[in-house]
Amino acid sequence: MDPTTNDYKEFVTDLVIPHQRMNVNINPDHITMLEGTKIKKQHSRKRRAHKSGVLSRKEYAKLGLNTLPTKQMKYEEALPLHNLWKGYVREHLELREGAEVPEVHDPRYDEFSRQLVKLDLHGAKLKVVQSKCRTLEDLDGICVMDTKNVLKLLGKDHRLRTIPKSECVFGMKVGNMQFTIFGKHLNIRPAERSVKKIKNFVEPFM
Amino acid sequence: MSKDNKKKLLAQRHVSSRMNFLFQASNLMAEGHRTKLAAYYGKLCRNVGTKAVMHMAPALKRSLCKRCSLPLLPGVNTELQVAEAPKEVAVTPFPQKEAPSNGGAKTKKKRHRRQRKKPKRRSENGDTGNNREPQPEIHNETEPISLYLKCSLCHSQRSFPADNQRDCWLEQSQSVVQVVSLPGENGQR
Repeated sequence: MDPTTNDYKEFVTDLVIPHQRMNVNINPDHITMLEGTKIKKQHSRKRRAHKSGVLSRKEYAKLGLNTLPTKQMKYEEALPLHNLWKGYVREHLELREGAEVPEVHDPRYDEFSRQLVKLDLHGAKLKVVQSKCRTLEDLDGICVMDTKNVLKLLGKDHRLRTIPKSECVFGMKVGNMQFTIFGKHLNIRPAERSVKKIKNFVEPFM
Repeated sequence: MSKDNKKKLLAQRHVSSRMNFLFQASNLMAEGHRTKLAAYYGKLCRNVGTKAVMHMAPALKRSLCKRCSLPLLPGVNTELQVAEAPKEVAVTPFPQKEAPSNGGAKTKKKRHRRQRKKPKRRSENGDTGNNREPQPEIHNETEPISLYLKCSLCHSQRSFPADNQRDCWLEQSQSVVQVVSLPGENGQR
């Protein structure tokens, strides 16, 4: 099916009150997109001049790249991403078979925890262990998008959920290891994470 | 000094593994027709590279769309298309003399590029004139065609000139490894 019509369908269903949504049935033939009316001449010339270059933030948002559809992606589609991520973690943390988390007095501990913060979370299976907000607790899924303040998790029920980082504590499993991550310290843009200097002492908030 | 260097190398290794992962993820999503996610991972891969001052291999860099960082995979995302009606400026065999009159319609930048390119080719021909004289003639007979890939997301185009001077072309002897022909075809010829 055409992905664009899916977008419109989802938009219309979201307008209906929740317990009636099951009954909504939209015929794709009935969807008509209206074209914009006038385009000023100056405007078009400006755009053409710009077209060769990079996308501006405005155009980037207009293409819908900052938002993801909430109900279209299947959990199974994210599984290959998770498998890819598993390999990446092994490489990043230099894990071998049966490796253990270093103890606090271990000399490797500092380096290990520093690398853990720099880890890329796209494709990780995360679970909200603890949160200030009760409704967010016990949600789990594969992380598909990571921004400064928010994680987007794709749950097993094929829904994409947006979860604020700063109020939550996340649990993550890698092989036989279990990590607990305080989301407060993840509040860095994902691109800057790998270069950011991290202070030695960080206190948990709860 | 050596210790410092070592530390830097270690950091770079982590960055490179992350970029590698992101690039693979981006390609994976592009194959699964999740264009938005693919573009997002591509963009992130590029951003990580700029933040950590690390370069991608040029071939990989060019496989991402210039505008929206969507990996362009011909046959999956896009198709390699032949551009319509080559411009008459390009058809003229030696445009160097006529360049000022023709170039008026075009932008300055393009004219510069053409002028820089032409003398080089001439000198090249002069150097290797003994070896391959017939080749320029072939080039003049065939019209220059340009191929392009169009990004499905942001509709930007990436074009390639297709001429037989390039490496990956059947006319170039070094690019042909083996010629396999079916017996039926041989009979027809």
